[in-house]
Amino acid sequence: MDYAFNWRVVWQNWDFLISGITLTLGVTAASLSCAIVIGLAVGLMRLSKKGLLRRLAMAYVEIFRNTPALVQLIWVYYCLPVLVGINLDATSACIVALSTNGAAYVAEIFRAGIQGVPPGQVEAARSIGMSYGETMRKIILPQATRKMIPPFVNEAVSLLKYSSLVSVLGVSDLTYQAQVLSTTTFRPIEIFTFIGVVYFLVCWMMSSAAQVLERRLAVSDR
Amino acid sequence: MSNKESLPMVRIEKLRKSFGSHVVLRDVSLDVRAGEVLVIIGASGSGKSTLLRCINMMEVPERGRIFVDGQPMGQHKDDGSFTVFPDRVLNEKRAQIGMVFQSFNLFAHLTVLDNITIGPVTVKKTPPAEARELAMALLEKVGLAEKADSYPSRLSGGQQQRVAIARALAMKPKLMLFDEPTSALDPELVGDVLATMKQLAEEGMTMIVVTHEMGFAREVADRVLFFHQGDMLEEGTPEAIFSNPRHQRTQDFLRRVLPAPGAPCRPAPAPTAYIGKAAC
Ligand SMILES: Nc1ncnc2c1ncn2[C@@H]1O[C@H](COP(=O)(O)OP(=O)(O)O)[C@@H](O)[C@H]1O
Ligand SMILES: [Mg+2]
Repeated sequence: MDYAFNWRVVWQNWDFLISGITLTLGVTAASLSCAIVIGLAVGLMRLSKKGLLRRLAMAYVEIFRNTPALVQLIWVYYCLPVLVGINLDATSACIVALSTNGAAYVAEIFRAGIQGVPPGQVEAARSIGMSYGETMRKIILPQATRKMIPPFVNEAVSLLKYSSLVSVLGVSDLTYQAQVLSTTTFRPIEIFTFIGVVYFLVCWMMSSAAQVLERRLAVSDR
Repeated sequence: MSNKESLPMVRIEKLRKSFGSHVVLRDVSLDVRAGEVLVIIGASGSGKSTLLRCINMMEVPERGRIFVDGQPMGQHKDDGSFTVFPDRVLNEKRAQIGMVFQSFNLFAHLTVLDNITIGPVTVKKTPPAEARELAMALLEKVGLAEKADSYPSRLSGGQQQRVAIARALAMKPKLMLFDEPTSALDPELVGDVLATMKQLAEEGMTMIVVTHEMGFAREVADRVLFFHQGDMLEEGTPEAIFSNPRHQRTQDFLRRVLPAPGAPCRPAPAPTAYIGKAAC
């Protein structure tokens, strides 16, 4: 192997790459936040006593889990405007697609977490007169959250990685900026190695933070 | 307890409940006076828990009428059918009825103190400082003040159950329902819980207690009710039920749960505790 690395290309285009990182993190954060809200709603529907709500939620989860994220993304961007008449710019379309996709997984995390709380906890809360909402917020979710942290961080990490798909719509995320730089500088090896490391570091830091948090919460059980 | 004779604390009329095709409560009618301690005994599966759970609407009855302190617990239709109140109304009613479970069900993520304050603070909007004061007084009463900052997982079963009683009392209930409160406890821990319940009875709390502790029933109950296949078969004073049961089924049941005459007694109860254990 006699490839001569030239890492200068990374430093020379630092700002350009940083703008990509910023956009990647922004899209991921926005999608994750929406995914939590939608996912909580879908997860609660999934546990509803009403059959219709439960089936709707189940259909939602199945559809998103059994189609490729890239197809969902392209569908939201190109098909939704034609079918519904909503025109989204590429970045918004990405956030919509990633949130709805993430929500399907988040819903399952919420469902499993909530179901993991012993039913006696709900009974005790309802028997002292707490409402369904109060019971959820003060009794069930705080207990479920602990068990949900690891799968939830997994989901955040996959969302971050999925966000690289948005480059196909021309959204200037980290991956897209790397593609642009590669074609202009002819240095794809350095550039894609660099962004690989960046993706790794961000994902790895998220996982590590989650481990610390999980340990902290476990301590308060003592 | 003088003027309370007129209006029962609990009135149940022709209460019916089925799970699928299985009729669990067969038109049960029952009055419980204010300040009365009613003990319900009966074989497993006879519907005792379901009866308690219908009183605070944890289970929705099919037909019949239930009143607690004169107030209907559901919308009673003229044709006898039953619909639940909307949640907001129901929650207000439930807040007045304490329930103690076989498995304690303390909130695992909250300290003992927070377990007790969460009800008053969330449901009754009691100021936190006031709720803490009340909680400490109740912990004092059940003898667990020093455990205020512990998490439930650190307590013995008997301690957890006494905290659960304190949690229910923090709502200042008019009525307390106990569903086999000592059945999940090691024998040496039963005494403390029964002692707490006895104290509560002496203070005039209206209590409906499902239990297999015949010693407790004998000593504390005003009335004992024998439940069989979804209906009460026999009721009376503890004396009448235990010494002179009329029905064959009651006799059979009592023979199974009471130690035979001359059989060795259970080990002595814990030191601080209640003494009237079993029929020794
Ligand atoms: N949620 C439920 N669904 C179906 N059957 C139930 C349910 N709860 C209780 N049962 C049935 O109702 C009957 C009475 O139960 P229960 O009231 O718990 O009796 P007990 O407390 O006297 O042991 C039992 O046969 C039980 O299997
Ligand atoms: Mg039972």
